[in-house]
Amino acid sequence: MDNRTAIIKQPDNISSFNDVYKLQKEYQEALILDNSNPDFIWIGEHQLCYTLGRGSNYDNLLFSLNDDKYDVFKIDRGGEVTCHMPGQLVTYLVLDLKNFNKDLNWYLRKIEEIIIKILGAFNIDCHSRKGFTGVWIGNKKIASIGIGCKRWITINGFSINIDCELENFNKIVPCGIENCLMANMIDYNKNLNIQEVKRIVKKTIEEEFNFDFISK
Amino acid sequence: MSHEIFMPALSSTMTEGKIVEWLKNPGDKVERGESVLVVESDKADMDVESFQDGYLAAVLMPAGSTAPVGETIGLIVENEDEIASVQEQNKGNQPEASTSDQLELVSNKTEEKPVVQTENIKKEAEEVVLKSEKPVPSFNVDQINAATSNVSSRIIASPRAKKLASQMGVDLAKVHGSGPHGRIQADDILKANGQPVSIPWIGEGGSPASIPGANLGVESKPETSGNSFGNPGETVQFNTLQKAVNKNMESSLDVPCFRVGYSINTDKLDNFYKKVKQNGVTMTALLVKAVAKTLKKHPQVNSSFSENGISYPENINIAVAVAMEDGGLITPVLKEPCNTDLFELSREWKDLVKRSRSKQLEPDEYSTGTFTLSNLGMFGVDRFDAILPPGTGAILAIASSKPTVVANSDGSISVKKIMQVNLTADHRVIYGADGASFLKDLANLIENEPETLVS
Repeated sequence: MDNRTAIIKQPDNISSFNDVYKLQKEYQEALILDNSNPDFIWIGEHQLCYTLGRGSNYDNLLFSLNDDKYDVFKIDRGGEVTCHMPGQLVTYLVLDLKNFNKDLNWYLRKIEEIIIKILGAFNIDCHSRKGFTGVWIGNKKIASIGIGCKRWITINGFSINIDCELENFNKIVPCGIENCLMANMIDYNKNLNIQEVKRIVKKTIEEEFNFDFISK
Repeated sequence: MSHEIFMPALSSTMTEGKIVEWLKNPGDKVERGESVLVVESDKADMDVESFQDGYLAAVLMPAGSTAPVGETIGLIVENEDEIASVQEQNKGNQPEASTSDQLELVSNKTEEKPVVQTENIKKEAEEVVLKSEKPVPSFNVDQINAATSNVSSRIIASPRAKKLASQMGVDLAKVHGSGPHGRIQADDILKANGQPVSIPWIGEGGSPASIPGANLGVESKPETSGNSFGNPGETVQFNTLQKAVNKNMESSLDVPCFRVGYSINTDKLDNFYKKVKQNGVTMTALLVKAVAKTLKKHPQVNSSFSENGISYPENINIAVAVAMEDGGLITPVLKEPCNTDLFELSREWKDLVKRSRSKQLEPDEYSTGTFTLSNLGMFGVDRFDAILPPGTGAILAIASSKPTVVANSDGSISVKKIMQVNLTADHRVIYGADGASFLKDLANLIENEPETLVS
C-alpha cells in the first residue's frame, strides 16, 4: 500500500477540548467532500473535562449536570462517559477508512494493538479484553477508546493515562463499567515522560498506518 | 416513491446494530448525505446518511433498539405529500386503501422475507405513528454543547423506558422519573400507563428469604400483559441465545435424571442476611457459598458424566441461571466460591449480572459451571424442578421461603420460614443417596451455621 499523507498536530500546551473538536470536524468534513484531502492526527492534552458519547447513559455521571464546576461535552463517538485532563495523552485520528479497511471492529482492534505497542516501547505489559474495548494492565484500565464515523471517515480516538490525577475518574463511572480501576503509565515505569510517550505515539501511528506526516 | 434505510454493517463480524439516536424526526426534511441516525457497535458510532433528498417518513425501529444488519429501520420519501400516506400505510390499519406505490413496498419485502416479518413491520410502524403523535423529545447533539446549558428542559429516560413509552403511547414529558436526577425508568412508564410494575426478571435482589409476604404481588395480581416477546398471532424467530438454550435443553433428554427435594428452615439464614445485607451481600452469593461449601464435602454431586467415566472437575464453579429480558437465559459462573469471601463473592455476582445484561460476558464466565443454581424464589413459587444443563451432573432449583406452620419434634407447633429446594441429577454419576446426603448437609449448614458462610 502506498503511503498516505497525513497532517499531524502536536501542541505542547494544554488545548481547549472544544477547539480541537471543531478542528477534527473540519478535517472530517473536508475528507467527506473530497477524499484526496489529507488524514489528520492530533496528539495532545486537554484541560479537565468530561465527555459523553451519543449513546451514553447519564447515570454514569456522578455529579449533577447543573454543577458549573465541570465541563461536560456530548460528542459523536461511541462508548460511555470518560474524562480528560492534563497528564493524559489524547490522540485523535481523522482517517478515511476506505483507504484501510471499511470495518469499525477492525479499526478498534487496530487501535488497541497500537496502544499495546506504545506501552510495550516503555516495557509496560498490557492487554486488551474481549468485550471491554480499551487497554488494560491487569484489571486496571490504562487507555480508553471512543470512535465516531461518518462515511467511513473517523473522528475521535484514544486517550492514555500517563501521569494524571486519577481521582477525577471518581466523578464518573468510566466507560460505564462499575468499579472500573484506572492506572497511570508512570506507576509502571518511573523514567518516562509525556513528551517521550508523544514521540512513540507518533512513530507507532506513522508505521502502523503507513503515513507520511506533514507537521502543522 | 419511498426508499428504505437499512441497518448498515459497521464491520464484517457485526450481525446486529444498536440504534443510538435518530437525528431526524418523522416528517423532517433530509438532504442527500445528511446524517439521519446513529448506529453503535462496541465503542464506535457511525452516522447513517440519507442517499437522497426527501423527507423521513417513518422510523420503524426506535432509538435504543437493535436490528439485524440489512433490516429496514426507516423510510424516506421524495415528496412531502407522501409522508402522510406512508405513515398511514405503515399503520397497517387500512392496507386496502393504500396506494400502489406502498403496496409495492410491502410486496417487495414479502418476496425475501416470511410474511410474519411484514406483519412485524406493520406493528412496529404502528408504534412509530403513536410516537410521532406524541413525539419523544430528543436532544440536540449535532452541535457540541456544554451540556449544562439546557438541562431543565431536557427529559432523560432509560432506553428501555423510551421503548416502552413508544410501545404504550406514553408521553415521556408527562412522566415523573424516579431514577437519579429524575431519570425516567421503565417502571415509571408502567406506572404512568396504569400497569402493575413487574417483578424483576433477573434472579437478584429479591431473594427467596427476603420477600415480605405482603409484597408477593405475583400471587394476587396477574402478570403484565406485555410479558412476551411477540404479539398475539405472531411467530417470532428465536434469537441466538434462545436457540442455544433450546439446544442445551434438548440434549438433556438423553440424560437419565432423577429429582430429590428438601424443605429447609431459613429463619437463621434470614437473620444473618439482614445483618450482612448492608455490606452489599446478596442472597445469591449466600446460597452459592452454602452450595459450594456443601459440594466440597460431596464431590460426587459436583461430578459429571463423560465417555471415559465419572469426571471430577478440579474446581467447584457455581453457575447461576439468569433470565434475559429479551429472551433466553445465561448462566454466569462464580468460580471457586469456597476461596472467595462472601463480600467479594457478592461484588463478583453483581458485576456478572450487570455484564450479562449488556451481553459482555466472556465465554469462560458463563460456560465453566460445574454445578448450577436456578432460583425462582423472587416470584413466590412453592417448588419447581430444573432441567440439567449439559456437561454437568446436577442442578438445584430454589423456591421461595415462606412462613409455614411446622410440627416440631417435641410435639409443639410453630411458624417457620421454609424454603423448598429440589435437586435434579444425572443418575449415571449421582445416585439418590448422594443427592439426599448433599441436601441434608446443605440444610444443616443453612439452618444451623449460616454465619460460617462469611469466609
